[in-house]
Amino acid sequence: MAEQQAEKEQIDDVLAGDYQAGFVTDIEVDSLPPGLTEDTVREISRIKGEPEFLLEWRLQAYRHWLTLETPEWAHVHYPEVDYQAISYYSAPKKKTDGPKSLDEVDPELLKTYEKLGVPLDERARLAGVAVDAVFDSVSVANTFQDKLAEEGILFMPFSKAVHEHPELIKKYLGSVVSYKDNFYAALNSALFSDGSFVYIPKGKRCPMELSTYFRINAANTGQFERTLIIADDDAYVSYLEGCTAPMRDDNQLHAAVVELVAHDRAEIKYSTVQNWYPGDENGKGGIFNFVTKRAACRGESSKVSWTQVETGSAVTWKYPSVILQGDNSIGEFYSVAVTNNLQQADTGTKMIHLGKNTSSTIISKGISAGRSENSYRGLVRIGPNAENARNHTECDSLLMGDQCGAHTFPYIEVKNPTAQVEHEASTSKISEDQLFYCKQRGMDVEDAVSMIVNGFCKDVMRQLPMEFAVEAQNLLGLSLEGSVG
Amino acid sequence: MKQLTELATPFASVDTTLGNDVQWLKAQRLKALAVFNKQGLPSKKEEDWKYTSLWELSQQEFTHQASESTITAEQVEQAALLGDSYRLVIADGIFSAELSNLTNLPEGLFICPLSSEQGLAKAQPHLGQQVELAKAGFNALNMLLMNDGYMIAVKAEAQIDKPIEVLVINSGATQHLATHLRNVVVMEENCKATLIEHYVGLSDAVSLTNVITEVVLSSDAELNHYKLQQESPNAFHIATLSANQGRGSQWNTSSIALGAKLARTDVQSKLVGQESHTTMDGLYIVTGEQHVDHHTRIDHTVPNTTSEELYKGVLDEQSHAVFNGKVIVHKDAQKTDANQQNHNLLLSRGCEIDTKPEMEIYADDVKSAHGSTVGQINEDNLFFLRARGLDEVTARSLLTYAFAVDVLERISSATIREALSAQVEKHLPKGGKVL
Repeated sequence: MAEQQAEKEQIDDVLAGDYQAGFVTDIEVDSLPPGLTEDTVREISRIKGEPEFLLEWRLQAYRHWLTLETPEWAHVHYPEVDYQAISYYSAPKKKTDGPKSLDEVDPELLKTYEKLGVPLDERARLAGVAVDAVFDSVSVANTFQDKLAEEGILFMPFSKAVHEHPELIKKYLGSVVSYKDNFYAALNSALFSDGSFVYIPKGKRCPMELSTYFRINAANTGQFERTLIIADDDAYVSYLEGCTAPMRDDNQLHAAVVELVAHDRAEIKYSTVQNWYPGDENGKGGIFNFVTKRAACRGESSKVSWTQVETGSAVTWKYPSVILQGDNSIGEFYSVAVTNNLQQADTGTKMIHLGKNTSSTIISKGISAGRSENSYRGLVRIGPNAENARNHTECDSLLMGDQCGAHTFPYIEVKNPTAQVEHEASTSKISEDQLFYCKQRGMDVEDAVSMIVNGFCKDVMRQLPMEFAVEAQNLLGLSLEGSVG
Repeated sequence: MKQLTELATPFASVDTTLGNDVQWLKAQRLKALAVFNKQGLPSKKEEDWKYTSLWELSQQEFTHQASESTITAEQVEQAALLGDSYRLVIADGIFSAELSNLTNLPEGLFICPLSSEQGLAKAQPHLGQQVELAKAGFNALNMLLMNDGYMIAVKAEAQIDKPIEVLVINSGATQHLATHLRNVVVMEENCKATLIEHYVGLSDAVSLTNVITEVVLSSDAELNHYKLQQESPNAFHIATLSANQGRGSQWNTSSIALGAKLARTDVQSKLVGQESHTTMDGLYIVTGEQHVDHHTRIDHTVPNTTSEELYKGVLDEQSHAVFNGKVIVHKDAQKTDANQQNHNLLLSRGCEIDTKPEMEIYADDVKSAHGSTVGQINEDNLFFLRARGLDEVTARSLLTYAFAVDVLERISSATIREALSAQVEKHLPKGGKVL
């Protein structure tokens, strides 16, 4: 008993550890005053000098949003968001016409990236990563543009793509996630500030991992990212997204939309490490993360793979999905979701099988500690024409402590008799035996727990690109160290 | 708008025949009326009714006045599942003493219809205890219009030798007959009984059966509780079985759904005593345009309880099946062991299965797993049988039977197991098609 008590104290110590990425960068910010009206939408569009069609689209989305109600079906509870109290645009102040090279970038900004470990300067080249770093709402620097341009690959801020490739934006924007899709998608469509745009032309294999860091910096600004990735026939791209946010007290809203389109035989691999501020141990502060991510496997034999490591945010509401339209297309979803303290996560995926011989794999690992709630919510739908569709789903939950919750809500809808669908789920805890074994061999509790948790998540972690795997493992350790006794 | 309120049948103004002079019942019915008027029947926008539409039901004009029952003793004998049992017969919605066999009841067993003064009085303290009045509209409707049912009480230490069969039989003589039944089973300490609820339709008449069975199990009581539903192919069948389980009690259920055009069965158990156990099994075999929906819920509220759940479905032609299983391990319900499985066999183009095995877990030291599959007859197994000389049709039939029989094998009483197997075998699609 005494030993357990000691362990518990140890846990508490570790759990009380401060959020390491929590710092606020002090730079001047151009912001819209709080409030949301049609004029807000027009103003954002004007600031960004957008073409008419985009403004029109934003306004349609806004008008549709007005008719919607906040969704309440998720297994999460949070105070109502006051949409009139949020400022919908904030951009780092520009020096003349914006930076043309790294030297011109606000040094404060560079310091922020440095603290976060973004390889933006020399390190970027060494790490072989092209970073389209989004600082609050405006992209400030792009690297490796030339190298990518040689291949005909487009990787640029969304706002730039709107001007340079309006035909692509017109064709693909909202084609996977319509502004009518849901409450937050409508909100995002009306107000999105910026994001990333990627186009991989026919037959090209993107020579490097594309990566972007999102940060929410200015206080009380919602961040509405819009990401659009298109892989044309036989193309391949791996895209990394990582997030941290500074510590603050007010809840912040993040409602991103990510759209992926894979044409014939194309493959998109999308990896996320999400480590936004989760709030303190009493649930004060933290990000509301309401994200719509969806991919369309339009072409035959196309493939989309989502991998996510979710450790941050106070409330997460996120279901990266794949619509398997093309025959023989493949959808994958690998997820680790960690919740601690008073965090709440309701996350999972949707696999919509429409084409013949389509297959999908879902591996979801949920880890709950503290007083948190962690839910897997997924949908596997096999349409009437999806001959020989296959799905395999595994949802495992690990509970640490008797105050947390782990839940599974899988929806399986099958309308074709040739389909094979399997779902399995289990719940467990780190057993005394496992801990004893490790301790007996000289490991301390924290290392033992970290090792066991990493083992539990191995199936997902090994899907991450190398650059991310290390960060993700560190995060996992940080989020959970010693939370078992 | 989450409810269907425009109903072709004016349920709220139907006259009841049961207990109109009983004050406490009147009071409860008034409450139920208020709830029903507010709620109507659930629409598909309600999560619990997402895959089951009551639109067609809402458009039927049901009658609550049955013409005199013409069901003969011979018909009852033929319809009954068990030859040797204590039998309570509800014919066209009303208890029939002549058709029942309730003589020579053993000591410790009390059975009588709810429509008797004694039955109603005995049921009073238990009515509405295991179901929420406000849930789904049907509970309120049942309270409002219940006109018969059964009351079974088993005394402490009693071991009932023969199974009890409650036969609810609808002749179809009255078209569009609606029957609202309320049943109560009270098991005292350390007693044991076996009960089967058997719903039979003799014709293809349109009908509605809306039934709620509330079960209370005291310490160490054991109830084997089966339900066989063979209603008319045009019937609407809405049923709830709900139990409250005391320490060390066992409730073993199996819900076999073969008939009806639309059948919805909710099975719920609340484990409130330590070391209690629930077995919740089910088998649905549907064809044509049948729609069958099972919603189960097991609440583990205290430490050291166990549950075991296996639901299997065979779907043919244009049928549609729904399964929603919920296992909730409450805070502090440590050492819970819960296992839930749902497997479905699709035999034909056009059928649809929607399954949702849910877990909500609020305790850490638990063993909990669930699994769900949707598939078809395994080609390797088929090849194995064909290679041994079985023709395609026989081989497919055999494999279908083998798939379904798993559920029946878990029934402990051999008599009931065999009787149910015979019914299932008769009902199984023969041969199946090559997809």
